[in-house]
Amino acid sequence: MIARVLKYLSLTGASLVVLLPPVVLVLASLKTNNEYLNSGPFDPPGDWLNFDNYVTAFTKGHMLRGFINTSVIMAVSLTGTVLIGSMAAYAIDRFRFRLRKLVVALFMLATLVPGVTTQVATFKVVDALDLYDSRWSAIALFLGTDIISIYIFRQFLRGVPRELDEAAAMEGAGPFGIFWRIILPLLKPAIATVVIIKGIAMYNEFYIPFLYMPSQELGVISTSLYRFKGPFGAQWEVISAGVILVIIPTLIAFLALQRFIYNGFTAGAGK
Amino acid sequence: MHMKQRLIAVLAATSLVLTACGDDAGSGSDGKIAGDITVLTQRTDLVDTVLPEYKKKFEAKYPGTNVKFEAITDYEGEVRVRMNTKNYGDVLPIPNSVTADQLPSFFEPLGTVDELKDKYRFVRSEQTFGGKVYGLAITGNAQGYVFNKKVWTAAGITTPPTTPEEFLSALKAIKDKTGVVPLYTNYKDGWPLGQWEGVRGAVSGDPEAVTKLAKDDAPWSPGKEQYIIDSLLFDAVKGGYTEADPTTTNWEQSKGMLGTGKIATMVLGSWSVVQMQAAATSKDDIGYWPFPNQVNGKFHTVVGGDYKNGINVNSKNKATARAWVDWFADESNYAIDQGGVSVVTSAQLPASLADLQAAKTEFIEINPAPKGEEGLADKIGNTAEIALFDGKYRQRLVDAARGAKKETKEQIFADLNKKWADTRAKLK
Amino acid sequence: MAIDTKPASELRRAGRPARPHNVARTLTPYLFLAAPLAFLIVFTYIPVVNMFGYSVTSWDGLSPSREFVGLDNYVEIATRPELFGVLKVSLYYIGASVVQIGLALYFATILSFNTRFRNLFKGVLFFPYLINGVAIGMIFLFFFQPGGTLDSAMSALGLGGATQQWLGDPSVVNWSLAGTSIWRYLGLNFVLFLGAIQSIPAHLYEAAEIDGASRWDQFRHIILPGIRPIVGLSFILAISGSLSVFEIPFIMTGGANDSETFVIQTVNMAFKYYKLGLASAMAVVLLLIILLVTWLQRRVAPDEKVDLS
Repeated sequence: MIARVLKYLSLTGASLVVLLPPVVLVLASLKTNNEYLNSGPFDPPGDWLNFDNYVTAFTKGHMLRGFINTSVIMAVSLTGTVLIGSMAAYAIDRFRFRLRKLVVALFMLATLVPGVTTQVATFKVVDALDLYDSRWSAIALFLGTDIISIYIFRQFLRGVPRELDEAAAMEGAGPFGIFWRIILPLLKPAIATVVIIKGIAMYNEFYIPFLYMPSQELGVISTSLYRFKGPFGAQWEVISAGVILVIIPTLIAFLALQRFIYNGFTAGAGK
Repeated sequence: MHMKQRLIAVLAATSLVLTACGDDAGSGSDGKIAGDITVLTQRTDLVDTVLPEYKKKFEAKYPGTNVKFEAITDYEGEVRVRMNTKNYGDVLPIPNSVTADQLPSFFEPLGTVDELKDKYRFVRSEQTFGGKVYGLAITGNAQGYVFNKKVWTAAGITTPPTTPEEFLSALKAIKDKTGVVPLYTNYKDGWPLGQWEGVRGAVSGDPEAVTKLAKDDAPWSPGKEQYIIDSLLFDAVKGGYTEADPTTTNWEQSKGMLGTGKIATMVLGSWSVVQMQAAATSKDDIGYWPFPNQVNGKFHTVVGGDYKNGINVNSKNKATARAWVDWFADESNYAIDQGGVSVVTSAQLPASLADLQAAKTEFIEINPAPKGEEGLADKIGNTAEIALFDGKYRQRLVDAARGAKKETKEQIFADLNKKWADTRAKLK
Repeated sequence: MAIDTKPASELRRAGRPARPHNVARTLTPYLFLAAPLAFLIVFTYIPVVNMFGYSVTSWDGLSPSREFVGLDNYVEIATRPELFGVLKVSLYYIGASVVQIGLALYFATILSFNTRFRNLFKGVLFFPYLINGVAIGMIFLFFFQPGGTLDSAMSALGLGGATQQWLGDPSVVNWSLAGTSIWRYLGLNFVLFLGAIQSIPAHLYEAAEIDGASRWDQFRHIILPGIRPIVGLSFILAISGSLSVFEIPFIMTGGANDSETFVIQTVNMAFKYYKLGLASAMAVVLLLIILLVTWLQRRVAPDEKVDLS
């Protein structure tokens, strides 16, 4: 019995600790400036339907533009990531070739490089390819620096019996036919995983768009929020609204796709 | 609002004292004033408000031109990385980290010092190399401290303190009589602490101060400028005259607090006056005084240029870029609107400096360093990992003064002196 | 195409395929790898190689020319122990990782048994991991500022006397930041552990219960062995992550007040003091340290493999 009480007590406690910091921002975001300055963090707002700060944050923070840019970049990058990741995983898992060990090591090492430290060199590369200050810079870097998707596909491919490809080969399918018609359709659950894990990472990415897409018109969610913080630095109630606005899409996606998200992360880590 | 870069600019600008040899890269304007230019700006706060107005006026004067702005949040850091490529706009404020000898590699010369010195301020020594000028200041600043007059008056102080001791007792009076935070460091943002460096030259009243600093092996010794400036900061923090928790300061918020009398004083360039006034209950509440130190019974105030507009040496439209630089200096009225000292010599000093004039301060400009020593003091500072204008080493002073680090002022100064001397020896 | 719907047994009967095109067969994997490798090399390895290149120069990050200085930068790093002093800050984050993994294990275990509002608790614990880093920085600045959320909560609980300068006191700041890190990353560990626990066959528990094993016994003898690989993996990632902590302290304190980490120090070296050569050498050293840690962990616990091969 005591164990049960302790269990629920700890769960409730933990939930409170987790929820407290963001919920306080929700309260703040519904207050007027005057109200905010003259009330404690836990005091409820006078008008629960005061969405003025949200309007300010949405318009002055150019949030709509940010959402559109983020969506465009995500759509292209996710497609690319799925193709690139599954192709690499297919080659590594299904073929034995001379440089295989080297290739595997290259992909593995890449995860350990702290990206901030190579930025000057990366910048030169991006500029040499004439990608600077365009959405393609973020897309290319998403495809070229974070290769977690290869792990996930590889993990999943191991569970796909080789006999399937071999049978298809018997029927005259070439390696590309096998990949396109057999492997890719079978990878659907892994694709869902990759889309979820990488999608969240891209939505939240700050540094890449911040450095490589300085034009205001190319602002994404993270950079819009960051730039918005400057001029409104004194108005926490407006900043709070901006923060909440950025979290809402994540929350909606989470509620709608809960099961896939959990499975995604679990599968992503391998067993 | 990202004033940080601007401020550091002002200060570093005053210190980048340059002459010396060098050859020019490319000729000036070639071609017609028409077509597109991209203008980089550190004023993220103005890009949707004031700058479009400028664009309209400029394009009306020069039909067929099209100006596009790129406002950059972390101006210094981002532009420095970008300058590794050719892609850094047509017109841009020259980053402070660009040393004098690097100017010809990245920027188009605008003319010689002799040609420009009668018409423009700050071209004599700032962003100049080999007798050529590479940038025109967007505005100019005096260096002292901004304060809330109501609060100071309520504490019984109506004339500017003339010594650091008087300044400290003024802060004490403010604390005792009004309960307001006497001095706000803006520690968290870092750059406001770098503003303290801007008063060098003003303490000693010596236009050669920066040249001398580069030749000194122990700048943090009693009686010297760095010692006096940093001691004042240390003692103010130690005396409890600064904000209780410096690590959670908020720049935007601090402006409102000074404006409405919750903070009495901040050490910032005169550019801050307009912004404080905007946040104040009444414009008249904001005052600006010189650094509390007199030489021969006189205050001194250093005046220097803010960021300088320069032209990318790789620009494809230098004629239009040049037209923008000239228009910005001569016609935009930016300096006056921002309460600064206009780069045009014929323009009058702004009202924001009235208090300084009332205090009978002597305005000085830092002299150019001798050939071969351009920007040397700051180079020593960076190589020694002190970075005079960055504020990071002053965070250490604040930490020690508030008891968060177990170091005495003397220990820190001795350490700074040692690093400085060692680096000087290495750079020789 | 209905090939993929045929039962595997039928396919297997078809036997091993002949391999007529050996040259094509040799080239095929390279064709598949061309695009992925091109991206990887261009955007990860060229910069890394350049970083090695910079590390043997005295480049300031801007000058068109750079002077070759050999191993001077590495010698400087080796002879300046204070550069490694900041690594002690990483200890806070390693400590936090241990707490984080412990908490994650606890919650994963209790939630793997029947619990009311199970999904709600699961969602609440996990969600912070999905939140944007910039947003988290702002949320916790609000949380820790004087008179902010934490101070008010403590006053409400009658602990007003114990409030601190959460970011201002150098003996507290790293705990605050590491705590933020737990808040953010606990959810990931938790969900990974939960998934691993749920993949343990149910009949093992049933058998244990018939034998009269307590919950604690079940945890020790069934759950823990079952999820050892993922716990091991979490520790490896936690240690290399703790060595390269950047985002949370950078946004919240900028590394001031003794909260500077190795990566922040490296970034400062490059962009505050303009010593890009030295900073590159520091980045190389960090990379080597991380590689070493990963290798050591492999040696110590070879069964907990992380890699692809």
